[in-house]
Amino acid sequence: MSDVIKINDIDSSDCQRFDKWPFSQDFCVTCGLCSSTCPVSGIDNFDPRKLVRMISLGLEEQLVESRWPWICTMCAKCEKVCPMGIDIASLIRGVRSLRDRDKVPGILHKGLTAAMKTGNNLGLPQDDFVFIIEDVAEEIAEEPGFEGFTAPIDKKGANLLTTIHNKLVNTHTEDLKYWWRIFHAAQEDWTVPSDNWEGTNWGLFTGDDEAMKIMTGRIVENMEKLEIKTLLWPE
Amino acid sequence: MEHKKILIIGGGVAGLSAALALEQLGIKASIVEKTGFLGGHAIQYACKATDQCVKCGACVVEEKLKAVTENPDIRIFLNSQIKNKAQNNGRSVITLNRQPDYIDPHKCTDCGQCYAQCPGKGAIEQGFSPNNHPLYALNADKCLRFTGQDCHICEDVCPEKAIDLNQQPYKHICEINAVIVASGFKAFEPVDKPYGWQVFDNVITNLELERMLRRQSIAVRPSDGLPARRIAFIQCVGSRDATLNHLWCSKVCCGSALRMARVIKTRHPESEITFFYMDAQNSGKDFEKFYAAVQNDIHEIRCLPGDVYQTSDGSLQVSHFDQHDRQSVEHIFDLVVLSVGITPGSDSGKLADRLQLKPELTGFFSASPTQLGIFTAGAAAGPMTIEDAIASAGQAVWQTVQYLKTC
Repeated sequence: MSDVIKINDIDSSDCQRFDKWPFSQDFCVTCGLCSSTCPVSGIDNFDPRKLVRMISLGLEEQLVESRWPWICTMCAKCEKVCPMGIDIASLIRGVRSLRDRDKVPGILHKGLTAAMKTGNNLGLPQDDFVFIIEDVAEEIAEEPGFEGFTAPIDKKGANLLTTIHNKLVNTHTEDLKYWWRIFHAAQEDWTVPSDNWEGTNWGLFTGDDEAMKIMTGRIVENMEKLEIKTLLWPE
Repeated sequence: MEHKKILIIGGGVAGLSAALALEQLGIKASIVEKTGFLGGHAIQYACKATDQCVKCGACVVEEKLKAVTENPDIRIFLNSQIKNKAQNNGRSVITLNRQPDYIDPHKCTDCGQCYAQCPGKGAIEQGFSPNNHPLYALNADKCLRFTGQDCHICEDVCPEKAIDLNQQPYKHICEINAVIVASGFKAFEPVDKPYGWQVFDNVITNLELERMLRRQSIAVRPSDGLPARRIAFIQCVGSRDATLNHLWCSKVCCGSALRMARVIKTRHPESEITFFYMDAQNSGKDFEKFYAAVQNDIHEIRCLPGDVYQTSDGSLQVSHFDQHDRQSVEHIFDLVVLSVGITPGSDSGKLADRLQLKPELTGFFSASPTQLGIFTAGAAAGPMTIEDAIASAGQAVWQTVQYLKTC
């Protein structure tokens, strides 16, 4: 991030800009609460206060090319404490959306591309997914009090449809069991879809509205197809 | 003019100053005060002189209070509030809701037995100045007797038999020619800010530090009473805040925080004081000189902290972004002082209704109300220093006199 900006280089007459940046950034009083409260500020000198001011000054192009917007975890703690009510996390997402898609950081870009193509960030085939789900369900069924436990897949007319975070069918399969044990204890009538089960939506993190819409639409389609009214979407 | 009567709402520094100025002109003034004590917020403030007077105005409040209490011509209605206002032949008829003097000022010797032995938390309150007499007042909202219990400990322990809880509230009607609204402000209560006020013992407001420095010479940690060596001031807590609809600067906090910092540092040179701010506001014509001098005494950080956590020994860990190192850093303090904003008085909406006044969008009263015969003085019209509150009281009195000439 270059330090010295010539103020004269900024086109202050470009009022159109504010339509594109409707995040109240121009109300910033530079109090610094955002930077002080941010859990990742200081990483690569990341400074949310400076980022907000850069947008306000019309320097978004510099930010688009920088790493800063991608350091943010979008936890929005900054928004919670901002005395001027600036939508800082949304503003950062706005900056991310301006980057060429093939320059989006690797894992996010790959995951989202896979999700667009296959329905999940891992590109996990349907057979493998069903195998993992059934395998974990069998493990639960061996626990005392869970005899006969099964994980209902594509159950039409169930009360609850649940999505799955991809890491739970990858490296963290044990974590599937917590929800499922609760469902069992609560005698919940639940199901998981065999296709488009992905619960994460990296269109959110990459600033890709179109991808976000497709991912969300697929979940809605599943609900309609399986005639389920209630969704549990644990990210 | 000698037959004219003015009602002053609020017994803080503005109300006291207005009453004295009217009295000097031979105009009868009465002060209505909703609490049990005259002096308002300003009487709670500490003198901030170091090797020389810094003109904070705290002592002037004490002088005004003394002058008012010693003046038999100024009528005082404590524990009283405006019920309504009606017009009668060019004069206003004001009805006051009055709590009785549960503690008889003629008998009370300010011994403090009632205060010391009252089992109801906060039911007997203590005034801030020796010029408050009685030095104690009963808060009926917190008194066990008034919440249905059979308690008469204060009546029994009073050696002068000055306390009588069997009295009833009553109405007082007065006919007056003009009203000066000097109802003051409310100090912002930072419960929703991420600084742990009322969660951690050693996080206090600037008002609480003022009271502490008025009581004793040094700043201590409320948790254990030990001297606070490392002290942080956090500015603009509840001021310049759109989410609270408090867009204004509270004007006095930079000056008062820096002056308190200087007092602490002068008395205890080993103190380490950090001032977290967004921009230091000028207050008073000597501020520039003062601000330059204060740079040697304190550590200034142009960034408000994000979080405060308590450590195992009751100290406070404060995190903030360091704009020079461009890193998030943490410091340990013994005491964190929040400079809270000045906000409209808690009853100002109700009071406005009863006077048929329309407050401004901020909730403060207009500095020049459009209603005939009503004037404003002091922080009722917005944040101001003691000095400005006294000046605005003078202006309100001048406006009142001009008005009285027309009626």
